[in-house]
Amino acid sequence: MALDACGKPERQLIRFIPEEELIPGVAQWKPGVCTQCRAGCGIEVRVMEGEAEVTRHGQVGLLSMGLAKKLEGNSSHPVSQGGLCAWGQAGLQVTYNPDRIRFPLRRSGPRGSGEYQEISWEEAIKDLASHLPSAKPAGKAAPVAFLTQPLRDHRGVLIEHFLAALGAPPAVKFEFFEQTVLRRANELSFGHYQLPTFDLANANYVISFGADFLGTWNSPVSQNRGYGTMRQGRPGLRGNFVQVEARMSQTGANADEWVYAKPGTEGLLALGLAHVILSEKLRPADAAGQAGAQIDGWSKGLADYTPEAVEKSTGVEAARIVRLAREMAAHAPAVALIGGASLAQTNGLANALAANALNALLGSVGKPGGMSFTPQAPVADFVPAKEGLSVRALCEGILAGSAPVEALLIYNANPAFASPPAWRVREALEKVPFIASFGSFVDETSILSDLILPDHSYLESWVDNIPESGTTQAVASLAPPAMNPLHHTRAMPDVLLDVAHQVGGDVGKALPWKTYQDVLQAAFDPLRSHPGSVSAKAADDFWSEVQSKGGWWSAGIKGSPAAQAAHRLPAPAKVSEPQFDGAAQEYPFSFLPYASLQFGDGTHANLPWMQEMPDTISTAMWSTWLEINPQTAERMGIQQGDLLEVASQHGKLQAPALIAPGIAPDVVAMPVGQGHEHYGRYASNRGANPIKILAPQAEPETGALAWASTRVKITRAGKKGELILFGGGLREWPREYRHR
Amino acid sequence: MAHQWGMVIDEDRCTGCEACVAACHAENNIATVGDHEAARGRAMHWIRVERYYEGDFPEIKVKYRPVPCQQCSDAPCEPVCPTYASYHNAEGLNAQVYNRCIGTRYCANACPYLVRFFNFFNPVWDKPLDLQFNPDVSVRSVGIMEKCTFCIQRIKTAEINAKAEKRPLKDGEFNPACVQSCPTGAMVFGDLNDPESRVSRLSRSSRGTTLLSELGTHPKVTYLKRDTWHNGQNA
Repeated sequence: MALDACGKPERQLIRFIPEEELIPGVAQWKPGVCTQCRAGCGIEVRVMEGEAEVTRHGQVGLLSMGLAKKLEGNSSHPVSQGGLCAWGQAGLQVTYNPDRIRFPLRRSGPRGSGEYQEISWEEAIKDLASHLPSAKPAGKAAPVAFLTQPLRDHRGVLIEHFLAALGAPPAVKFEFFEQTVLRRANELSFGHYQLPTFDLANANYVISFGADFLGTWNSPVSQNRGYGTMRQGRPGLRGNFVQVEARMSQTGANADEWVYAKPGTEGLLALGLAHVILSEKLRPADAAGQAGAQIDGWSKGLADYTPEAVEKSTGVEAARIVRLAREMAAHAPAVALIGGASLAQTNGLANALAANALNALLGSVGKPGGMSFTPQAPVADFVPAKEGLSVRALCEGILAGSAPVEALLIYNANPAFASPPAWRVREALEKVPFIASFGSFVDETSILSDLILPDHSYLESWVDNIPESGTTQAVASLAPPAMNPLHHTRAMPDVLLDVAHQVGGDVGKALPWKTYQDVLQAAFDPLRSHPGSVSAKAADDFWSEVQSKGGWWSAGIKGSPAAQAAHRLPAPAKVSEPQFDGAAQEYPFSFLPYASLQFGDGTHANLPWMQEMPDTISTAMWSTWLEINPQTAERMGIQQGDLLEVASQHGKLQAPALIAPGIAPDVVAMPVGQGHEHYGRYASNRGANPIKILAPQAEPETGALAWASTRVKITRAGKKGELILFGGGLREWPREYRHR
Repeated sequence: MAHQWGMVIDEDRCTGCEACVAACHAENNIATVGDHEAARGRAMHWIRVERYYEGDFPEIKVKYRPVPCQQCSDAPCEPVCPTYASYHNAEGLNAQVYNRCIGTRYCANACPYLVRFFNFFNPVWDKPLDLQFNPDVSVRSVGIMEKCTFCIQRIKTAEINAKAEKRPLKDGEFNPACVQSCPTGAMVFGDLNDPESRVSRLSRSSRGTTLLSELGTHPKVTYLKRDTWHNGQNA
């Protein structure tokens, strides 16, 4: 321990360091913004002096520089409140990942071969600019498409400006676990096209319909914070938590009462509960307001949704429905959450509207202990982008020739990995003459690119984020780079500005900023006139205080309550039973892919810490598996680790069996995230990808993929699979069940 | 009086999110062993989240329990070490002196909590993953036993800083990496010799219990068992 020997190190060590304020052995804490998911947690980066092999001007050398050593939650940030999740902790391995692309690349082999040669940034920018139209084509859209992850920051804003200047359509946003259905439902019920925020800390009764809110869904860190307080943070008062789902998730395992409902019938159960509350007059009938009016038969007391009728479709006993309804009505504030597989059904929107109406009936909208909407920080020029064209429609247009794309730009979206085969994403992308990627890694989508302009990591860049949910304050997070770039990379927004200036003409004029830093400074300036966490009023002082605090948040603004909705469905929603792909006789199991605690949608599969972190429910590492009910497994003669073939009407895969006591007998589940072909050394050729056997069924109103609506059959492949478990406990399960 | 570092883990708050597991790896330079070694039971996690099932579908109950080293007051790992590599320090920690360790693995054998991990090989970090190393924590090599230290590097830093500023340590002034990252506030760390510290007060809770208490190891980690719901009131 150097510290033990030397006392206060900065008094004793000789200062000889190239980076101005760094003292060897002494840590500096710099603000940061986590980009590992969309929640937008504020973080703190521990920066210390170290020696790194870096590339500068094409030369590799050893440089003494400030290096990020540890990430923590920013305790003053309204979303993270000092906590940080496992993905956030593993963020260091994004920056230091050995498979990061270190310099601009131009394809040298056939497309998809992964053969590239290094080029200079000047060449790369010139090359990209030469593939873009310099003037808006008259009367039609420019044949340029931008495919990106959904962004809650000014990178997204800049992309839209860039596309508008080119005369191209808005960016195509893609993530596998898309939230379109819930946003649309909230727009219809409450007038906010936005994900909800829950005040769990003050709730007395929480019922969640399939939402993995303590694991991977929405704003996990802030939801975990609230949950902890709900359980043990209020002397003498402990909230109850009921989870409804078909497979016990990491979140559901925490429930006081876990309720099994058949997949896709969560909305029916919500209306069954509402029926009891209405018929027993436990809450005023008009309390649901507009959210209730969206449901067919609400004004008539939901006559079709008696507990007996709902029992038939959901499998939840009528007496239990009555008891749950009475409990939640008696224990205000009570709040309902819906998410995940409940919405990824053909009746997903109706399910969400039903849960929204239940919330409104319970009187929990815009109230403490209920749900609200995060007010959006009044930064300049930030319009939370609506979902544009879908990837599916983009690919259909390319394949049919009706909407050809001459140049495609990709930013951290990987639909070639995370889309059902029927979308034919790879086939469509192969038809595009020119593809450029800004990503830091070669993945299944970016391996098709002709040009790679690698981005900095989020610890090396200016980062901002306007959280969509997770707090009742308006927040605009911001952080300057915590460290200098390791490699010969450049921040995507800066490259975009350079390309625009290279293209010149109207495109150059439409993006007048020199750097992304200028964009952010201009965007944050209007916050000066609003009361908030930053006290400085002069423009320059304000700007430096925002940077040092990791952003701006409003003083004491409460979450937005329901607003008047501008849109309505043509007719009130009827919550019907979900439609599944595959006949039940031939395909007896509902197939439930779910967001992995380790990898999310697969984005984090290239981080070795995440590969080796045991999954909480299974304790599995470096693996994929198929979760199957113990009785079902016994009936089929399946033992833990047996390799199974899982087949839908759209494909098949192999995965080892995991005997899981918390899954329904006619449901099998599989985590998403493994099964990469191209995603670096840690993720490639490992496990199987459940998305590749999904049916292309969609929720009809929004067009969102109904990823939980595929049915499968299972056969034994006749050997053991690769299932690596950290915990030994589960190994005893099969034998125990055999003796029953 | 010397500090006696202890921890309270509230099973009613813990949601099994594993933030503590990832935070521990990042703080303590714990090696990733890879699939081949992990399949042989050689993965190293100084803290793990145990998951217990009770009942049959659909009446299933689950309990999570994060388990770091219990820092026993009467630790079975200490007397078995022939080289005094595992020893009891003045502040109540079961410390491991890596450069005394000769890899007999007696301590791991004796530990009833299975929280000691052996380096079967020299760890490998593909460059530049080595840049993530915390310079305050030494990297262990082949043949060495390693374990949770309650982040002794953070304890020492805080003690040195307080001493330099001529003031006593404040309760909650610093935390081990797992406690700091925990988003639910399920873990509380502090000085058990200070009767007013949060960890002392919580460890006297009626929900408090220790793991395998019948063994007489006197752990310094207290678990608060899961609460039940009785119409909105605490049980």
